[in-house]
Amino acid sequence: MAASPAFGAMGARAIRAGLVAKEFSAREIAESSLARIDAANKDLHAFLETTEQLALDQAAKVDAAVAAGELDACGLLAGVPVAFKDNMNLEGTHTTCSSKMLENYVSPFTATCVARTIEAGGIPLGKLNMDEFAFGSSTETSAFGPTKNPWDLSRVPGGSSGGSAAAVAAGLATVTLGSDTGGSIRQPGSFCGTVAVKPTYGVVSRYGVVAFGSSLDQVGPFTRSVEDAALAMNAIAGRDVLDCTSQDVSVDFTANLAEGVRGMRIGVVPAFMEAQGLTPEVKAKVEEAAEHLRALGAELVEVDLPNAQAAMSAYYVLGPCEAFSNLARFDSVRYGYCDPGHADLNSQYEASRAAGFGPETRRRVMLGSYLLSAGVYDKYYYPAQQVRTLITQDYARAYEQVDCILAPVSPRTSFKFGEVSDPTDMYLSDMFTISINIAGNGGMSLPVGLGADTHLPVGVQLISPAFKDENMLRAAAALETVYGPAPVAPAYADGKAGE
Amino acid sequence: MTQHVTEHDVRDIAEYTRIGLTDEEVARMTVDLNAIIDSLRPITEYDLEGVEPTFHPIGGLSNVMREDVEEPSFTQEVALENAPKQQDGCFLIPSILGEGGDR
Amino acid sequence: MRKLEEVLKDWEAVIGLEIHAELTTLDTKMFCGCKLEFGAEPNTHTCPVCLGMPGALPVPNRAAIESIVLAGLATNCDIEKHSMFYRKTYMYPDMSKNYQTTQGPVAFCMRGHLDLDVDGAAAKERIDLDGLDVGESRGNATRTETGYTAHVGITRIHMEEDAGKMVHIGGGEGRIAGATHSLVDYNRAGTPLTELVTEPDLRTPEEARLFMQKLRQIYLALGISDCSMEEGSMRCDGNVSLRRRGAKEFGVKTELKNMNSFKNLHDGLAYEICRQAEVLEEGGQIFQETRHWDPSAKRTIVMRVKETADDYRLFPDPDLAPYDLTDEWIESVRAKLPELPDQKAARFEDAFSLTPYDARHLVEHRATADFFEACMELAGADAAKLAKPVANLVINDVTAYLNAHEGTELADTPLTPARAVALVRLTAADAISSKQAKEVFAAILDEDKDPDAVVRERGMEQVSDTGAIEAVVDAVLAANPDKVEQYRGGKTGLIGFFVGQCMKEMRGQGNPKVINELLASKLSS
Repeated sequence: MAASPAFGAMGARAIRAGLVAKEFSAREIAESSLARIDAANKDLHAFLETTEQLALDQAAKVDAAVAAGELDACGLLAGVPVAFKDNMNLEGTHTTCSSKMLENYVSPFTATCVARTIEAGGIPLGKLNMDEFAFGSSTETSAFGPTKNPWDLSRVPGGSSGGSAAAVAAGLATVTLGSDTGGSIRQPGSFCGTVAVKPTYGVVSRYGVVAFGSSLDQVGPFTRSVEDAALAMNAIAGRDVLDCTSQDVSVDFTANLAEGVRGMRIGVVPAFMEAQGLTPEVKAKVEEAAEHLRALGAELVEVDLPNAQAAMSAYYVLGPCEAFSNLARFDSVRYGYCDPGHADLNSQYEASRAAGFGPETRRRVMLGSYLLSAGVYDKYYYPAQQVRTLITQDYARAYEQVDCILAPVSPRTSFKFGEVSDPTDMYLSDMFTISINIAGNGGMSLPVGLGADTHLPVGVQLISPAFKDENMLRAAAALETVYGPAPVAPAYADGKAGE
Repeated sequence: MTQHVTEHDVRDIAEYTRIGLTDEEVARMTVDLNAIIDSLRPITEYDLEGVEPTFHPIGGLSNVMREDVEEPSFTQEVALENAPKQQDGCFLIPSILGEGGDR
Repeated sequence: MRKLEEVLKDWEAVIGLEIHAELTTLDTKMFCGCKLEFGAEPNTHTCPVCLGMPGALPVPNRAAIESIVLAGLATNCDIEKHSMFYRKTYMYPDMSKNYQTTQGPVAFCMRGHLDLDVDGAAAKERIDLDGLDVGESRGNATRTETGYTAHVGITRIHMEEDAGKMVHIGGGEGRIAGATHSLVDYNRAGTPLTELVTEPDLRTPEEARLFMQKLRQIYLALGISDCSMEEGSMRCDGNVSLRRRGAKEFGVKTELKNMNSFKNLHDGLAYEICRQAEVLEEGGQIFQETRHWDPSAKRTIVMRVKETADDYRLFPDPDLAPYDLTDEWIESVRAKLPELPDQKAARFEDAFSLTPYDARHLVEHRATADFFEACMELAGADAAKLAKPVANLVINDVTAYLNAHEGTELADTPLTPARAVALVRLTAADAISSKQAKEVFAAILDEDKDPDAVVRERGMEQVSDTGAIEAVVDAVLAANPDKVEQYRGGKTGLIGFFVGQCMKEMRGQGNPKVINELLASKLSS
């Protein structure tokens, strides 16, 4: 095939303009994007499945709309190449959660966030690799092999939404969706240098997204520009009758992107900046971003989150407890891996769950079961929910003084495969992101260039009050005027992949 | 490090969660779980007297319900499409009690 | 084993019930929009939610919450404004998520009670009330004119979801024991299910049966369930323990299952009480275990020994928002409460001067109560006069007929309120005898005819005309001078002979009252 533009490397606005000007068709977008994925995925392993037919069908719809001069009716993401983390049901596709347990499971229904992305005109390219059931920070726990970081194939893309981050960083898709339970959108966004948004809990429906920690999980987009992230948010946000915890959101997330930060009060948390484990290059980048914000007219205010240090332990109580319960349904009866040849149900259960779940999944399930057991519940689970109250109050107090908080995302840049093997060390990847899931408010990672020491992407975190996600997007858009939109990783830039 | 769970406890948890583990895996899991549970200590040392728990991080959201209105269901074929084993329109499972079991 | 009456002299039975009722009158399931329907093709009323597919989320049915609040209000419960759904881990193949969504320590309905009127034979099991005066109380019972009233506490009624259904193959008679495999159908999975738990306030199997019966009447009146014990939409488990008469401490309890009819509930509990007494009297020990009532073998058998308390890993369900009910909303539900059986009985007593016994039996079934009311409306000005005979007709004849014709609804029979009133009017006016009334009643039902038509066709009109009867009486007396002599000599028992002769002459249509009066006056003159 002749070299086509790397559509996945384009922004939604450019794609729309090109379609309207008939510079290219949606069919070209679909075919070219699929071809690029085919070529790039051998190294990257970001996609677990591509959805050719769905992509072509959707492209035909978009092209028909272009021909009829009705592209606007086609939606905010018309013709935009999109892809989904593999814990999101899309009818007729495999939804594996990167687990052997669900290797052969075919979704009989579609997640609301996926349906809304497609209804908005996005061209669905496929499903993206992740840590098994989202338990991890590197995609190394995927039963189908890890995804690689497009900036350095010897390094992890972060996780658990590593495939979603890598696909956008490599310019294979313009928008991908991920899910974030303790940092699973923001940390891979930081490692791969993409915009990565975890909205306030309740902004995006969780219906059809395979649950990890039901009170912590939230879906959000990966993009290379803040504007695309805001467009994607507009497409997927809002109340869904199928999710009791979803809420009405009547905000146009693109509305205030051009307003700048003049007059905004932005918080910095001294304790975060002094945290043990925060690498100097990441710290320097956060400080640099703070200076830029100040220069752009924001007022920097020091805020205190005195209970944030307890977030990590609260998270490793609540997450496993909810995961234990959410994963109880994988029992070899209705769907999922069924170990053959068992004459009694219990041995079928035990063998199927032992073989279907990887080591990290087993650890979390068993930990959760222990933490919820009689006598233990009062020692960990209940106090963790009380700590959640304290952390939520901390944020509420901070937001009396500021509109948004600036913080690190991950204490470091991407690490090499196998470099972090101890589970409790791996858990530290999320030290700056977890408290936001505990409190439920919004947070995002914005790429701010490469670290001085590792020359790998660094993201800074912007954190919003609950249901004020537009605040962090506004600050991010202002910083983006300094740093520019996120680049495609050099090895994949300008259509290099797929040639 | 404090011994929070013994290998015996881990076997009980494995039985409860229906995850069949080898002896070696039980030993490894015991070490892992003890390390993780140890890291949770801050939670047990907090002064939480009088603090209400937050079970639902959704602000004042309450009473979310749907109307009693029928929605389309799966056909039997779709319902069973992912079933590892099926018979007569139902999901098929092996003996619940197992050999010589009674209940 | 000793008989129940004997056992209860030495032992006090302590019984608590757990009563599940499916909200079958709703259109859809508890947490999804799948249709509620009994007997559909397997797994055709399923969706991602009730199959527990990965990613599916529950959304509660508003009508189910209203129904349980109605149930709570009708059983004198406090309605809790703040409650939540919890997840109860339960790894069993009929539970598609392997946890049941149910309520935690706080249920929608807490701390209720029902009073049971126990009389007749049913009161005899309560031997400890001997010697009490009317109005006097012992334990949770108060002596009444006809028996006693038992006050039964209700701990809670909570909202949950039912499980799917399993068929066990290869074990003989569908039993799980020995089965080689089982088939699971999730059509029932997610059916809105209420569970009512009583305090251990019941003392006899009769009280347990009456409680279940009364609760069923209430639920039927509320229209929240079809309460079919056969189809399992209303199910009852019992907890039973014994203690020596006068003892304060509770004994070890067993849990009894499979009591799927009122008779089984009574008989199962009665057996278990006797069994426990025998074990204890022989110096044995009762184990905390679940037992299964086998009605054909008439015994209970062990299902499962509970060595330790079950650990359900109960925690608040993060997928479901908490409840924060307002007074206003609760009152709006209260406004939907229909007249309950007790209230209806009181009204019947009051409006139609019925005895408490008659009133209570009339309201036992919604259909008979409605039928009675329709009759009273048709009776118009005669309602007060006809109430008692209509009540008798309904309680005795109609009930007997329905019992003999299982599965027949009163509304589906040819007996309309208009026909019932016409029949009662005929008897009240002495147009037919009470014996003939039975014949007419049968004819209405068998031949679908109006009572007047039956009477006319069969020439049953009772002759009450004094002139006509007097002629017959005179003829009979004239034909039997010897008997007249004997009667006047003191053999007054011969009156029956004379009445019989007159009736014979009149082919049974003479009004016996008029005949009797005329005979008496003529024989004494």
